[in-house]
Amino acid sequence: MSVGIAIECDGIGLTYHAKSGTPVEALRRVSFRVAPRRVTAVIGPSGCGKSTLLLIIRGLLAPSAGRVSFVDERTGGIVPTKPRMATVWQGFNLFPWRTVGENIGFGLELGGMSRNERAARMQRSLAMVDLTGFESKYPRQLSGGMRQRVGLARALVMEPEVLLLDEPFGALDAQTRLVLQEQLARIVETSGTTAILVTHSIEEAILLADTVVVMTARPGRIAAEIAVDLPRPRSLATTHVARYSSLFDQIYGLLRDEVVKAMTTEMEIA
Amino acid sequence: MLEESPSMQAVIRRSDKGPMQRFLQKIGEPRVLAWIAVATVLILWEIVVAAAQLNPIYLPRPTQILIALAAMFNSGGLLTDLLATLGRIFGGFAISLIVGTLLGIWMATSERVNAIADNFIAALYPLPKITLIPLLIIWLGTGGPFMLAISALGAIFPIVINTVLGIRQCDPGLILAARDLGASNRQVIKMVLLPSAVPSIFAGVRLGLGVSIILVVAAEMVVGKVGLGARLYLAGQILETEQVFAVLIVLAILGVVVTKAQDLIDIWLNQWRV
Repeated sequence: MSVGIAIECDGIGLTYHAKSGTPVEALRRVSFRVAPRRVTAVIGPSGCGKSTLLLIIRGLLAPSAGRVSFVDERTGGIVPTKPRMATVWQGFNLFPWRTVGENIGFGLELGGMSRNERAARMQRSLAMVDLTGFESKYPRQLSGGMRQRVGLARALVMEPEVLLLDEPFGALDAQTRLVLQEQLARIVETSGTTAILVTHSIEEAILLADTVVVMTARPGRIAAEIAVDLPRPRSLATTHVARYSSLFDQIYGLLRDEVVKAMTTEMEIA
Repeated sequence: MLEESPSMQAVIRRSDKGPMQRFLQKIGEPRVLAWIAVATVLILWEIVVAAAQLNPIYLPRPTQILIALAAMFNSGGLLTDLLATLGRIFGGFAISLIVGTLLGIWMATSERVNAIADNFIAALYPLPKITLIPLLIIWLGTGGPFMLAISALGAIFPIVINTVLGIRQCDPGLILAARDLGASNRQVIKMVLLPSAVPSIFAGVRLGLGVSIILVVAAEMVVGKVGLGARLYLAGQILETEQVFAVLIVLAILGVVVTKAQDLIDIWLNQWRV
């Protein structure tokens, strides 16, 4: 089993310059801790910089201020090299010229793994998302839900110590979403990876996460951190429990004003 | 099932057609019709020329042209000419495909290189390449290097421009995904930017190959000793009109083959497009 990694975001800020030259502050002093082997959901109004935050944690974008540290859960010390990380994207971002199998094997191919070993790991990860037999199909031949399962398999095949999920089900219909949420909850639980789930769905956050981090409208800051103390496994039935409702109301209460704020700033920009 | 719906009647009526109607329907199909039109033109040509007793120096009959064509292939060395021309076209084209794609990648990934190359391309691209023939002859003579250079010059600009375009149009999400999976800059270029630009590069190849064909044949007409262009020019000089037409037919067939091959590649590339 892989090492449990905790993530510490310390005072992260990001200011970028819009095309017109005016500076835009996307994130301001964002500090929070992601518990090892747990799912942390980041929720906020659209445009609050939650996806940007994910890119910063992944190291694909340099913050203007602050830093991200990865902590080994056993020693409590900062890990010397970055942990293995993989991202699942909202737009799937599958390579259209590669088959499902070649998409999943992409990361392993970059690392120079042999063809045979790659194929074996690809098959295992394909089975995890119930897509065995689809390895030679092209992404465009698959439905949205299947494409995102390929996206999930492509991340899982890297055996990530940190799994980043950027609104992974945002582009899918409600039914597909529910099924995939349950599938994801099971996979994350068994793999023991640390996961950050960026979402705009309160329901998704409560059903999947152990902690929900609520962000404000731009510039994105942390409004609250809420522990989700509902028992697992959770399912659609969980949404009928009284505790679910109180959590939902609490998060919605925090979000509502921010969403309104985000809407008015959007109107100003427009 | 016993009740006959209107559409079922229509189906029955269709299959009840007589042999004459079926024949008419068959020749009405666009593909068949296209070939019938070609055949009709050729037959009319043959009849009109024979009936009007035109001098073959002006317009030979299709059958005379075919006989000349066969003779040129059998004993006149036309195959050598064809191979020489093909070698020049595709040799120069291959050079420009490699150089053009590499230059395009470099331009698309480096602001500086792009700024430097941009002015030269802006100056050279609209220039009719045929005007460079005298200069190239002064520099390279009239042999193989000259022919390869003129062919490469024809194809390189559309290939460079389309490579830059294709790479710039790459979905940024794919680059992020590749970086997330651990790709280096080199790997991003080789495994993401280049494959995603392939359809666009191929559009450049289409344009470029057409120009290469024109330039090589034109250059052969000016200075060539062998090659379809040289053959064409020589035949015209000695008023062998059948031979002129025969070379034109070879060139036309070459054009058709190239176009159809490109269509097939296009269909194959389309399977990538989402």
